[in-house]
Amino acid sequence: MSEHVKEIGEPEYETEVVAASRQQPVVLDFYSTDCPPCEALAPKFESVAELFAGRARFVKIFRQGSRELASRLGVTGSPTLVFFKDGKEVGERMSGEEIKKTALKAQVEALLS
Amino acid sequence: MAERYDVVIVGAGPAGLAAAIYASRARLKTLVLDESVPGGQMKTTHKVSNYPGFPEDVKGADLAKAFAMQAERFGARIRRAVEITGHDLSGKTKWLELDEEEKVEAPAVIVATGAKPRELGVPGESRFRGRGISYCATCDGAYFDGKEIHVIGGGNSAVEESLFLTQFARKVTIVHQFDHFQAEPVSAREALESPKIEVIWDSEPRAFLGENQLERVRIENVKTKEVRELATDGVFVFVGYAPRTDLLKGVVPFNSWGYVETGEDMSTGVPGLYVAGDIRSKRFRQITTAVADGTIAALAVQKYVKEHG
Repeated sequence: MSEHVKEIGEPEYETEVVAASRQQPVVLDFYSTDCPPCEALAPKFESVAELFAGRARFVKIFRQGSRELASRLGVTGSPTLVFFKDGKEVGERMSGEEIKKTALKAQVEALLS
Repeated sequence: MAERYDVVIVGAGPAGLAAAIYASRARLKTLVLDESVPGGQMKTTHKVSNYPGFPEDVKGADLAKAFAMQAERFGARIRRAVEITGHDLSGKTKWLELDEEEKVEAPAVIVATGAKPRELGVPGESRFRGRGISYCATCDGAYFDGKEIHVIGGGNSAVEESLFLTQFARKVTIVHQFDHFQAEPVSAREALESPKIEVIWDSEPRAFLGENQLERVRIENVKTKEVRELATDGVFVFVGYAPRTDLLKGVVPFNSWGYVETGEDMSTGVPGLYVAGDIRSKRFRQITTAVADGTIAALAVQKYVKEHG
């Protein structure tokens, strides 16, 4: 686990994601085991997190341990990236194997501008 | 300064990794690039039953790891989760820019980028992707524990992944455009006999509907033209594959289906540029045929590099 990506559990969602996004944008990654696209996203997610260190927060959450939250947010696939700003979800979600590092970077840039 | 290799292989599926095994064993300095982790479509296939050498079913993800380990054992370097952000594959020395920050070059490149799951192109599909619509059963099956889901398609992937999904879902309804499966008879029969699987024949999806979440799929019977809406907790789409040819746009011509024509030795019209696996124009696309293509491409590259490298 990189120092730039924080892993949280369902109980920390309100503080680490919703409340934290009032300070700076938060990208939340739902991941699963037995999910090669999740394995593929992990290094890209960490490298983008490092790039935006101090400006945006990158958080990951294990879906199998957060069923209620996943279902409340309507997340039905892994990996899914959900973006938060000013206490609410913003922008397009990204999901599946095709998440590109350049696209993730661009979306975070857009949240910061 | 670009790091130089004898051969760069783009795509770490069975074609690319077979090529890497042969190239590295021939002592070519070999680099394999993949946007994801190694394995290509194999890695999200829950089980593989027809790959020779495995008398019992093998998990696609395990087979993928074994391919990669074998290539690495002989010295091939596999770069995972790397994005190609620039390239020139036409010249004598071919180069690729990785993640906008570094360059690699080689006299020979094998493009084995394969194919990706085809989308239906039906209204609502992109809106509900990850909100009820999925293309990977191993990744997302567990989200549908005890739920009622639909599978679109009737080929090997659709039928075999439906069987896999019955582990989680209470009920799996397959919606297929024809009146019989295209899948191999063994799996087709297993699906037809499964108490958890129901099939709606002769029907195609027309729209995905819901508020924030997929709630219903509208289907049309292609024979009677009857249209109806089915309530659903989730839809898995397995309707074949589309070639990943972005890298080769403007470099080599594509046939009318979007695939690349090659010589028998996997060569293209561009000296030093080879393609292998599902991206190639050919009749059958299997792990075994991808492996054969990769082997041939690597052997042809050895000869090419010796003469031109």
